[in-house]
Amino acid sequence: MAKGTTNAPLTPAVLHILLALSAQERHGYGIMKMVEADSQGKVKMGPGTLYGSLGRMIEAGLIRESDKKIDPEMDDERRVYYKITALGQKALAAELQRYREVIAVAKRKSRQPGIAYGS
Amino acid sequence: MAHKQSIRRLRNLYAVLLRLYPKPYRERFAEPMEQTFNDLLRERADEGKGLLGFALWIFVETFAGILRETLMTIPKYILRPLVLTAIIMLFPTFGSLYVTDWHWHWYSFVFAGALVFAAALGYELVARRMNNKTYRLAVGVAVISAFAMNWTNFAVGVFGEFDDIPTKPFYWGVILIGLIGAAAVRFKPRGMMYVMAAMAIAQMTVPVIALIVWPVEIRHLRHVAFPMLFAPTVAGAFGANAIYAALFIGSALLFRRASRLNPQMTQI
Repeated sequence: MAKGTTNAPLTPAVLHILLALSAQERHGYGIMKMVEADSQGKVKMGPGTLYGSLGRMIEAGLIRESDKKIDPEMDDERRVYYKITALGQKALAAELQRYREVIAVAKRKSRQPGIAYGS
Repeated sequence: MAHKQSIRRLRNLYAVLLRLYPKPYRERFAEPMEQTFNDLLRERADEGKGLLGFALWIFVETFAGILRETLMTIPKYILRPLVLTAIIMLFPTFGSLYVTDWHWHWYSFVFAGALVFAAALGYELVARRMNNKTYRLAVGVAVISAFAMNWTNFAVGVFGEFDDIPTKPFYWGVILIGLIGAAAVRFKPRGMMYVMAAMAIAQMTVPVIALIVWPVEIRHLRHVAFPMLFAPTVAGAFGANAIYAALFIGSALLFRRASRLNPQMTQI
């Protein structure tokens, strides 16, 4: 993941983390829960994958650490929150556009005789 | 209460595991990771689900992360030879496990691994100095030739495994000429051409020395390397050495070509 680039396709983990952070800043556990909810339980990230991805995303400038805060729903321990950056927003938008284009191509092809997608 | 104790114990164990991360990573993420682990366990406990299996999965997943992050801290010029060595060493490992009469001792694995790693690292360190395909090819041929010669010399001996002719140190001399020469010419292509030519000459000098010093023994060789190609005769001994010398000459010619393509690198 090169710093400052938005054109390269994102890995599934990075895409899901960016999606989870697109609405609001979250701490690690919050990101995990959001990813699980967004993917309807299909994507389950452990801390090793999550924090490895977060580290690379910070280096690439896609997200940044926010201040340490207390999560009122959890307990009084302070947590590190992560926030999407403008570059991260751009990368997410570019990735979603790529997905839309792929879907458009698939739809066009599915209208051709003899080609069927899905069940 | 019982859950709280289990969570505390597992959290302490997890904190120990997190110490295996590289220091910069650990300083940055160990605390939030531990916190996340704690949150995950507490959530499961609240749902009345078992903790042990889940914690085990997290431990394995985190350990994979530790390996990944540790590998990423290793410079690429070391990582690539390491990976190549691991892949190549799979062959003798499977060979020793499944092929009849293939029984390597542990020190054979260590030696072979060290030799492969040294050759691959040598290529990485030298070839990365110049963005020129011919130069890289020349380095590749030189490294593979030196590796093959060294391998043969150590494994069975160029003059055979049980030979009465102690030529092995002479072949180490050939490698030494290459190493000292390459350092002296600072790996510049024109200088490397001369170094490779010197190695070829040194290689062919070994059977000549053997013929002069051990005239009887060399006429009664039991076998030479490449037994499929050469009979264990004087001519066979020269033939086996000529193969390596030809490879060194091939590398020298490639270095000459590289020096012509990059005239600014021709000074030695």
